[in-house]
Amino acid sequence: MSAPTDRLENGTPTLELRGVNKSFGAIQVLHDVHLKVYPGQVTALVGDNGAGKSTLIKSIAGIHPIDSGEFLFEGRPVTVSGPRDAAALGIEVVYQDLALADNLDVVQNMFLGRERKNGFVLDESSMEQAARDTLAKLSVRTLKSVRQLVSSLSGGQRQTVAIAKAVLWESKLVILDEPTAALGVAQTRQVLDLVRRLADTGHAVVFISHNMVDVFEVADRVAALFLGRMAADVPISQVDRPQVIELITAGRSGDLGIAPADVAAVEV
Amino acid sequence: MSAPTTRTPAPLPEELAAPERTGRRGSALVHRLFVVRELGILAALVLLVVVTVIANPRFLSGQNVRDLLLSAAILTVLAAGQTMVIVTRNVDLSVGSVLGLSAYATGTLLVEAPGTPVVVAVLAGMAVGAVCGLVNGVIVATAGVPSLVVTLGTLYAFRGLVSLWASSADRLQINAADLPAGFKSLGGARLLGVPVLFLVAVAVVLLVGYYLRTFRSGRELYGIGSAPEAARLSGIPVGRRVLTAFVVNGALAGLAGVLYAARFQTLDTTAGTGQELFVVAAAVVGGVAIFGGSGSVYGAALGALLLTTIGTALPQLGLDPFWRDAAVGALILAAIALDRALQLRLAARLRGRNARRDR
Ligand SMILES: Nc1ncnc2c1ncn2[C@@H]1O[C@H](COP(=O)(O)OP(=O)(O)OP(=O)(O)O)[C@@H](O)[C@H]1O
Ligand SMILES: [Mg+2]
Repeated sequence: MSAPTDRLENGTPTLELRGVNKSFGAIQVLHDVHLKVYPGQVTALVGDNGAGKSTLIKSIAGIHPIDSGEFLFEGRPVTVSGPRDAAALGIEVVYQDLALADNLDVVQNMFLGRERKNGFVLDESSMEQAARDTLAKLSVRTLKSVRQLVSSLSGGQRQTVAIAKAVLWESKLVILDEPTAALGVAQTRQVLDLVRRLADTGHAVVFISHNMVDVFEVADRVAALFLGRMAADVPISQVDRPQVIELITAGRSGDLGIAPADVAAVEV
Repeated sequence: MSAPTTRTPAPLPEELAAPERTGRRGSALVHRLFVVRELGILAALVLLVVVTVIANPRFLSGQNVRDLLLSAAILTVLAAGQTMVIVTRNVDLSVGSVLGLSAYATGTLLVEAPGTPVVVAVLAGMAVGAVCGLVNGVIVATAGVPSLVVTLGTLYAFRGLVSLWASSADRLQINAADLPAGFKSLGGARLLGVPVLFLVAVAVVLLVGYYLRTFRSGRELYGIGSAPEAARLSGIPVGRRVLTAFVVNGALAGLAGVLYAARFQTLDTTAGTGQELFVVAAAVVGGVAIFGGSGSVYGAALGALLLTTIGTALPQLGLDPFWRDAAVGALILAAIALDRALQLRLAARLRGRNARRDR
């Protein structure tokens, strides 16, 4: 099943970043970042703590404005200046800290900020039905009730709700920031299955993880960030695990990675 | 090697049915516990009334009850507005001063232009309050200063404004004799025996309750209070929603000022002093969590009614005023303890189910 990688490599990426720079005050967090994310594929975004993974996806989602660089969505240049712009394009993000509201129930969380209305008032029954359908489509069966408060859910269930929230919309690109961190074995299994299913249903998926086993199990491509620079963005069939680890920790491996001079410059 | 190892077949229909069936039970449980919360206040209220009536049968006399409802009306309107603000994880301590400013402004308007229709006077008072709320909201939303501090500042600023106005206009007090009869009749007006001011308060509670429950921006207020960062990431215009909550709360405090003027008809610059803490107490007793994101305006209204009843009933039981304060204090602590207990029980019950099912 490595076929899709080679087949789709030539297609138009759902999202392409060109030369993205981003600073917080005097500290530059992203340096000239290029990235291509393809439909039907899982792109694993890897990198050490503080490499800039979360910053990159928050830039894609319009939370952080970028300093310079280009976004192309399905080949068209776009500007994203807020979560609603991103959502309108079909970009959904599951954030590292999940961004769920504990005092609200599952349905209310899945529609937070985008509630359906029937005239002026909330359309509760249609939202509840849609939430239930989405969970069913994802084969989620561990959730008791869609009217359960999120504060009463286990870590894995919260993760599931956060993912279902992203899938609920007609999304083309789903970005998941460390969705399996803090999960047990069984729940990690469920989330990985979910991630794979998303790609198999045609979504472009960006999957951030520190776990190489998970990355190699689920990803079609791997993009490695090293101190805010994109060290490699390649089909996973072209690299093995030690190489990816080298890319993460040293910024290069063999002919892959940032030029030795740059690595030296970064490291001083 | 990139082969996805999992190909999950379409789920079976029976499996799909499961979440729905158990879903109703889960939601019923949550609902039941919230109803318990409001019934608890109602039970305390009934108990208090029964005990007081046994000690003093005249407690339920028509005039006494009407007085009680009139006092409760003002606190209830304030509590309804405060609920909207507290739900967003903010608080407005300036409402007592806003009430005072609005009451004084409305009184002045009616003295200067006695022909002003009552409706215009009401709208004027609400506009004064809305402007105060706008000031609070703009500072809170833009300066990033906690609302507790901002509204503590405006509590003194607005009160100072009333004093300044009163002394520069050389009208430290507005007496009943100065007010037009049309406005004064509002204070005593009844509909089917119920004071009109109380009906106004009931209407406010129903409107705010309906808004919070069925409007998208109302729902978003709960999202903001529950998880401000999540709300922001979800694209909710957090600053604008919080600003709106402050403006509406200000307008309702302004309305409370008009009700105050209509009821007492004698106004000086101290009207509403100290009300802010009573209002927050009413909301908390009524189950509006001070950390935001939960509670209903109906609970807050019941809290306001309970606190007002305590204030009226205890003196009639022959108890020292000290006991009134002690009772209010004990009630706040009991409310907090009850909320915590219900929360833990709810979490335990729901977790217990999950554990059983996950196996
Ligand atoms: N809002 C911010 N203001 C200032 N600096 C920030 C901000 N957000 C992130 N940073 C900095 O940017 C760098 C990259 O952080 P980021 O969270 O993107 O890393 P990450 O790759 O997601 O790490 P982790 O694996 O630990 O989640 C860090 O040095 C961090 O301190
Ligand atoms: Mg991160």
